[in-house]
Amino acid sequence: MAFAQLSVDSASARSMDEVVVTATRTPRLMGNIAIPVTVINSKTVYQYGSLRLNDILGEQTGINVIDNFGKGVQVQGLSSEYTLILIDGEPLIGRTGGVLDLSRITVRNIRKIEIVKGPSSSLYGSEAMGGVINIITDGAGQNKTSAGLRYGRFNTLDGNINFSRKFNNTDVTASFNYNRSEGFSLKPNQIQKTVEPYWKTAQQISVNHQINDKWKMGAGLRRNVTYIDNTIEVSNLGNSTLSKGFERNNEYNITPFVQFKGNKIRTTLRGYVTGFEAVQLLNVKGNSDTYNDRFNQVFSRVENQTDWQIREQSSLTLGAGHVDESVASNRYDSMSTKRKNSISYFFVQHEEQLSDKLTLIGGFRFDANRAYASVWSPKIAMQFKASGKLSFNISYGRGFKAPDFRQLYLNFTNLAAGSYSVFGSEVAVPELNRLTSLQQIDQVTSMVGLLSALKPETSGGFNLGAKWKVDNQLQITANLFRNDITNMIVTDIVAFKKNGGQIYSYFNLKSALTQGLEFDVDKRISKTFSIKAGYQFLYTADKEVLKGIKKGETFKRDLISGNSVRMKLADYGGLPQRSKHTANLKLNYENTSGFFATTRMIYRGRWGTFDQDGNGIINRKDEYANSYLQVNASAGFSLKKYWKIMAGLDNILNYKDVIYLPGNPGRMGYIDIQFNF
Amino acid sequence: MKTRSIIGTVLAAIVIFQSCTKEETSAPRVTLIEKIVTDVPSDTIIGFSPIGQPIGAGKFTFYSFETNSIVPSSDSNSTKWDIAMRGTTILTNNGTSGPGKGGAFVYVGTYDDLTLVPADSTFKIDAAPSYAITTGSNKGWYLYTPQTNLVTPIPGRVLVIKTATGRYAKMEITNYYKGGITPPASASDAVKTFSQRYYTFRFTYQADGTTTFK
Repeated sequence: MAFAQLSVDSASARSMDEVVVTATRTPRLMGNIAIPVTVINSKTVYQYGSLRLNDILGEQTGINVIDNFGKGVQVQGLSSEYTLILIDGEPLIGRTGGVLDLSRITVRNIRKIEIVKGPSSSLYGSEAMGGVINIITDGAGQNKTSAGLRYGRFNTLDGNINFSRKFNNTDVTASFNYNRSEGFSLKPNQIQKTVEPYWKTAQQISVNHQINDKWKMGAGLRRNVTYIDNTIEVSNLGNSTLSKGFERNNEYNITPFVQFKGNKIRTTLRGYVTGFEAVQLLNVKGNSDTYNDRFNQVFSRVENQTDWQIREQSSLTLGAGHVDESVASNRYDSMSTKRKNSISYFFVQHEEQLSDKLTLIGGFRFDANRAYASVWSPKIAMQFKASGKLSFNISYGRGFKAPDFRQLYLNFTNLAAGSYSVFGSEVAVPELNRLTSLQQIDQVTSMVGLLSALKPETSGGFNLGAKWKVDNQLQITANLFRNDITNMIVTDIVAFKKNGGQIYSYFNLKSALTQGLEFDVDKRISKTFSIKAGYQFLYTADKEVLKGIKKGETFKRDLISGNSVRMKLADYGGLPQRSKHTANLKLNYENTSGFFATTRMIYRGRWGTFDQDGNGIINRKDEYANSYLQVNASAGFSLKKYWKIMAGLDNILNYKDVIYLPGNPGRMGYIDIQFNF
Repeated sequence: MKTRSIIGTVLAAIVIFQSCTKEETSAPRVTLIEKIVTDVPSDTIIGFSPIGQPIGAGKFTFYSFETNSIVPSSDSNSTKWDIAMRGTTILTNNGTSGPGKGGAFVYVGTYDDLTLVPADSTFKIDAAPSYAITTGSNKGWYLYTPQTNLVTPIPGRVLVIKTATGRYAKMEITNYYKGGITPPASASDAVKTFSQRYYTFRFTYQADGTTTFK
């Protein structure tokens, strides 16, 4: 029964019939999934003119792209570090400040993107707290070749070649993408550009071989390179000097697998090795000093997953694996010292169709970690089909995020800015002892007593959703969510140095909540015209702040009188970077001769930036960035059999915000040609 | 040391006596002094250290509530001053900081809320490098925001101070920059660096030795 669903045509027009693999790690029809899932198919990605993963995700309901250490994703109000990004089911590594830069990933070779919201650590382990985004690449099992070229403002050039062939029992797919831009300046009088010139390449090749009707094996290889020019003004001794250099990220991954598929059993043994190497080199002009930052992460994993169809209504998924991770960085020690962690884990998931109307899924995962405490992550979900048109989902799951290497091992002293130091929790005590013996410590704070092994950050996530297919032309979905996050890792001062510098380390001290409602309407007006509308209401809070306000111990400073005023709960703007209201409206036109046109309006309500009145929280008007509306449009047509030509204009209203949206250059046009045969 | 402090006490007593007599002649019960003070420099930036840190001369600015004025640093070992500032660090005249009978604690509430020093209050004593008014961002009276590189007084923090002569005062720091105006977040680091370390505060000094601020 479950395996039969594999044969359902995924190109089917209606989303309920789409096959989704990410939500349960087994192929399931979209209409049968008990947790919130969004699927974006390649046609949408093409018609919306998206190049990189951030382009397409930023236009989805309930997803915000935040510009901070690259383009990070925010799902259900949780920031990028709490969202797991997969390519063909395997996790991407290489985060800066917890942010995985979505612009690293091209979407020019994808079949679809699946987005699962709410915690899924019961299947995926660390980082799957706010959600899981799985990019499924295109090609396997088809004979096609396509090539595309795009040119846009700022000399943005994007070229891609995708190739796939099906031989007797062997599928081969290969793709190549090149992306470059000369960057842009939002502040014209500065030498340093707001976005520096860059180029990126992505190469991928995979081979799948069907040995016989039961056994299959294959391997994939992927490589990504990002190169960014750096011209940075460095302020030193009160004078600013110009330094030149570059930033280069090198990423690879290898994915061999072997799979057995019987009548009731399917089992897959999968290996995964991925590396992420980042180098930043800067030569300060008129100074022999060279800034050299290196970071090298390797993640390797072996995993077995076995799916057992016990009866027609009952299936079981079992999995176990082992991960070895290492990081070497001159931010921690030297490149020759490798910091290591290993994780052994197993997971179980049972799905039971109790009746035609009721399906239950329960499961858990256990992660035993060497470098920090082990975690249990259970999840339970239920789907109730009230009728053929109306269904309800309810789920509760636990999520976690492991302390990252930075939080464990960072050993950083900034001599330029106040001589402060940051020590990871594992190195803080020895470093403090060393500095004490060198008589460099002036004073330790009470936080020293709290220094201990970091625990993973954990969350509990609740989702209650409804899907109502009013008729063939109208579908309405809604989802209520709530996430409670505890043991969040924050920095605090552990000591002061005699030269006045502060020493920071990491602590599991914060707890937060995010809750809200996501609402989508999908209406087909005619055979050629459809409208999609989406809205998210989001409320977020730091729980300590809520306690402080309730106790009457939190104040704000009035902008005009300068007096302190006791805060009310309604004054509190929640966690920074979160918009209470976000919405989108998309108009799509497409006729049978291959002409299409789209207009997408993306609204982002005001969001908190940073504190200005000394209470450390968002409350005053001047602490918000302005809301804005971004309008993007595109249109294209097919020429003869092989050619597809399109043009687009992003940010038609030319909205810019130099301070809070540095990655947004304003209006940006492009033309795009694709050739398929 | 001891003689000096005795002399200090005697001097202070004379000052108080004088002020009392003065008030008795004009209007009784006007022992409450309320002032707003701007631009008290506190070790303002004069240059950079070899590693590029902005530095001042390293000297404290001493202040008297009673006279509402800066006290010369030659009087640092006297009870002529009540508080002293250097950067964000604030001393009170007691313990390791001075010979006075001072002390302090940070009251959480609005300035107007504090009409009376609560009976169960504990005045802390300076014991360098730990001070009655706790140093550090978000620990005592101010918050440092790394994103903006700005120091902002925490709203709802009133410094309750026992003066060098054992009287009571309350003060609220409202700004840390020249002219009482915090530079905008987008201002250059140079502007932020050179306009910092100027205190704007208001204080209420109760000269009659009672703990009431009404």
